[in-house]
Amino acid sequence: MESVLIAKNITKSFSKGINALNNVSLNLEKGKVLVVMGPSGSGKSTLIRTINGLETFDDGELNVLGIKIDSNFDEKKIQKIRRRVGMVFQQFNLFPHLTILENITLAPINVQKRNKNEVKEFGMYLLAQMGIDSHAKKYPNQLSGGEQQRVAIVRALALKPELLLFDEPTSALDPERINEVLDAMRILANQGMSMIVVTHEIDFAKEVSDKVLFLDNGKVIEISSPEIFFSNASHERSRKFLNQLDKN
Amino acid sequence: MSTKINKFKIFFLSKIKTCILLKPFSFFLNILFLSSIISLLLVSLNWIFFKANWSVINSNLSLFAFGSYPPNEQWRPSLWLVVLTFIALITIYGPKKKWLRKNLVFVWIGTVPLGIFLLKGGFGLIPVMSQNWGGLTLTILITSCSILFSLPFGILLALGRRSSLFVIRKSCSFYIDILRSIPLIAVLFFGQLLIPLFLPYGLEIDRVWRAIIAFTLFVSAYIAEDIRGGLQSIPKTQLEAANSLGLNKYQITRFILIPQSLRVALPALTNQVIGLLQNTSLMSILGLMELIGIGRSILANPEFIGQYIEVYIWLAIVYWILCTLMAFLSKQLEKKMSTNKGY
Repeated sequence: MESVLIAKNITKSFSKGINALNNVSLNLEKGKVLVVMGPSGSGKSTLIRTINGLETFDDGELNVLGIKIDSNFDEKKIQKIRRRVGMVFQQFNLFPHLTILENITLAPINVQKRNKNEVKEFGMYLLAQMGIDSHAKKYPNQLSGGEQQRVAIVRALALKPELLLFDEPTSALDPERINEVLDAMRILANQGMSMIVVTHEIDFAKEVSDKVLFLDNGKVIEISSPEIFFSNASHERSRKFLNQLDKN
Repeated sequence: MSTKINKFKIFFLSKIKTCILLKPFSFFLNILFLSSIISLLLVSLNWIFFKANWSVINSNLSLFAFGSYPPNEQWRPSLWLVVLTFIALITIYGPKKKWLRKNLVFVWIGTVPLGIFLLKGGFGLIPVMSQNWGGLTLTILITSCSILFSLPFGILLALGRRSSLFVIRKSCSFYIDILRSIPLIAVLFFGQLLIPLFLPYGLEIDRVWRAIIAFTLFVSAYIAEDIRGGLQSIPKTQLEAANSLGLNKYQITRFILIPQSLRVALPALTNQVIGLLQNTSLMSILGLMELIGIGRSILANPEFIGQYIEVYIWLAIVYWILCTLMAFLSKQLEKKMSTNKGY
């Protein structure tokens, strides 16, 4: 099976002595879904942000879709990766001065130089898939959080990415809005999209993920299949964490 | 109905009672202020309608509007002023046609070269030297040209101040700091007296353009600071989102940073425009015949000697109308920019 992401011994420290990431290695195959879990401050976000170059790292090597980057942070290679990897943020980060459709078509038109009309049609098609095509001419602040997050997903999808990164996509949403976003992600997973998802949604992880990675203090505690992780986690630390989540 | 009147009576009476009986001091103050305002108003109205001699304005209206522009060609500046008023009205009432709404900015920008062409002549129109430009036309021309040039220059300075290149960053902040610590009148003198010295032999820029250059140099430093404030208000997450979409630095600046910072800076920019309009009056000291300059030259005419008050009140009214119109335009623009966008 072809790999979309191979990370080798990624290490990063924000200040001396404290490792945000400590020798993280992982391998994601095409079409698979990796869920990253861990307590806050464990380096989940940092890990996912190094993949498309929003964070640098001090040591190790990343191979994203065959493009290799190391701690030298080659600007051109990072740009190449960003064109093929989509990202969805916790706070949506839509552009408030552009309409929904403009938000979506901005990058395909200007970065990928695709045909304007084709991109608009494709954007509308994706919006329709998410059930929010009626909002195309509105501005982000007129939409609810769940709708905005689905727009953010469409914005990432419009670039026809080969890998999607989700950084706690439901953490900023009202509880009753979470499912509309998770449903959208389920559809993507079923369509065979390769995804890395940082989330605390256990049910979603159980149902969709192919692998669960558990991080603590920047270290990979375990990588296992969801069946094993959620019923019979091999490490004391993971079990403790899951117990905590259950209580909440 | 009668109960309403009754209620009103009771309310009024009780108000008077509390004012006179309970708070004699505030009653006294009220009467004092009211009577002084009324007497002031009476005196000034009396002066305006009975004592003032407005012939100094009536007989010089064309001077106030066009300066010493040749009478046969005065339709040209008039046409320009009419076009400007027309576009201003369209902007205030909101253009109906979609293409016009989208391109209104470019229509506004287009009025500046149109004005220069109409005033200057050439291409079939009789050329008129800039010495003959004057009055309201010149005031508006200097203001609009300076704004048109200083806005992009200010944006570049603001961006340069955030540049990662040491030399660019330092020279931009140096420029801004220097210009902000020099009084405008000094910059204007510099423009009139020193710019000709710096130019190579044979190349000459006339006084109007030297004034516009000086204003542009001065105002762009202030505009740069306003834009910088706008840039700083954009959250970092916007940059992350733009980066993750693969936009390069130039695209991020053009599509994300500038539009958002301009919107935030708009009220401050309006301030600059109004300030600039008023500051063009300083050019009268340097011999340009803009509104104030025309006023001074009319007062120097023996026929109208001593009629200072009429002339300056008239000029104040003209400036007031211009500034109010501008403030109104920018308010309209702000409204349009913020509708539905939750700002």
